[in-house]
Parts: sequence; C-alpha cells; structure tokens
Amino acid sequence: VKEAVMSDREEEGFGFAPEHDAPIPYMTRIREYYQTLGYGAPYRWAHYAEVPFAPLKKPLAESRIGLITTAAPFQPDKGDQGPGAAYNGGAKFYRVYSGETDRDHDLRISHIGYDRTHTTAEDSNTWFPLPALRRLAEQGCIGEVAPHFHGAPTDRSHRATLHRDCPELLKRVREDGVDAVVLVAV
Amino acid sequence: VCHQTVSLAARHLEENGIPTVIMGCAKDIVEYVGVPRFLFSDFPLGNPAGKPHNPESQALTLELALRVLETAPAPRTTVQSPLRWSADPEWKLDFSNIARLSLEEIARRRAEFDRQKEIAKTIREKPQAAE
Repeated sequence: VKEAVMSDREEEGFGFAPEHDAPIPYMTRIREYYQTLGYGAPYRWAHYAEVPFAPLKKPLAESRIGLITTAAPFQPDKGDQGPGAAYNGGAKFYRVYSGETDRDHDLRISHIGYDRTHTTAEDSNTWFPLPALRRLAEQGCIGEVAPHFHGAPTDRSHRATLHRDCPELLKRVREDGVDAVVLVAV
Repeated sequence: VCHQTVSLAARHLEENGIPTVIMGCAKDIVEYVGVPRFLFSDFPLGNPAGKPHNPESQALTLELALRVLETAPAPRTTVQSPLRWSADPEWKLDFSNIARLSLEEIARRRAEFDRQKEIAKTIREKPQAAE
C-alpha cells in the first residue's frame, strides 16, 4: 500500500490522462452487458488475421469517391426515428439501398445502438457526410462524388453481411465507377 | 454490429481492388475485424463524421479520412482524430456499462430488448416490407 501511495504521488506532474480516458472497449462492455441481461453465448465478432490492401491508383483530386453508410432513410410510418428516439428496431432495413448524391437525403440512426446518453442524433452531418463530400469536390480536393451513395444493412448475421450485402455493395460501387470508397459506421 | 458491417464491406471492396477508408467511433471492433484504413474519432457512437452543429469539426474529420485514404502505407492503418469530444472523459464510463446500472434498470432493459427482437423478427419474416 505504501508503495502504491508513493507511485501515485510520483505520477503527479507527469501530465498523464485519467486511466479511463482511452477508447471504450466496446466488445468487453457489450459482452458483459448481454451476459448480465441473461443472453447465453457471447456474440462472435468477425475477426481476421490477414487484411487486404488496394492502393489508390490516382491522386485524390482526380478520383471519384463513393460513400457507404449504415444510416436508414426516414420512413414516416415506422415510428419515432429521432432526433433523440429510443432504439427503434422497426426502422431497420435488410437490403442494400442506394440514393443519388446530387440531392439531400433524410437519413436517421434510430435503428442503431448509438450513445443515447451523450448524443441526440440532431445533426445528420455527424453520421452522413455527403454535403461535406460535395464541398470537397467543389474545392477540387477530390475529383468528384460518385453518382450514388449506398446503404449497408447492419445485420447480426455474418452470412447475410458476407454473402448477401457485401457482393451487392461491390456491384453497385462498380456500376458507379468509383476509384475509392469512404465507409461511415454509425 | 454497425462497425462490423462496414469493416466487412471495406475488406470485400479491397479484396476486389477498390481502396477504402472507414470513419468510425468503435476502435476495438474495427481493428479486431481487421481493415486497411481507419479514421478513428474518440467520440460517443453516432458521431463518426464530426461533432453535432460543428461544421469545422465535420470538415476536418472528412479531410483527415481522405488523407488516410491517400497516405496509408500499409493495411491496419488507424489514425486517431486529434479532436476531443469534451475536456472531461467521464462520458466514456457510461456506454453499456453494467457496473453503472441498478437491478431495476437491468430488468427494464431486459424486457425492452425482448420486445425489440420480436419487432425485428416480424419484419424479417416479410422482407418486402423493409424495402
């Protein structure tokens, strides 16, 4: 105990951040959370040792950039979708969808387990950066925005994501002729 | 699951020759899946593209993501945005932290979780309704 007290004192003046001021360990939190709520086997997260890497073929200023989101189009008949809505499983979608990037869209995140204590989902620019991407194209930072953005369903089933949704997303971004894609996880 | 979905999609695009960058707030999930390029914002889930009502932070976040896309030297490149959600890191202790919930709150959440699973099941059984 004496040594612990000593080292606490020695730490003063080093400017260390508090111990909990680190990225939240979501997998641990979620596992403990659902175990306590009484749900059997813990969720098996996708996990790979090898990671693919495709280099950018052109400078950004000449590249056509695509956008993929997990946000959902607002559906007036599907209950409260925010801002500030409780989790709304009814607003989920189960097929890849697409929208044109030359106009604005009303996308919501009530179907996602975002942090409802510390954020309220009032400003869609915090999860759907299409207007910001268009501005970068106007400024010449990127060549252009791809003609469509695409919505990826957030399915707990790995089979659904890997065999149904990923090939569909690839097909659609290829049709758009993208050089690279920005994916935004809500 | 949202971060997992996007990570799997990024991997699939890369395997087929399309470079990607992910913007997200759940560092452990994205890195555990294993992705080529990742701009991590240490913000509450729901804010992968910057702070609410703060266009400067949103512009900076997207610009950083594109810099990561352009300059990453190898797969598993994670860059952490220098932006801070708040000077006080207390918010990080709240999310799904079972140690912070009362027994009554745990019981209430268990009932709500069952109800949401039932709703999702109903929709899945008639997929055309979800399109």
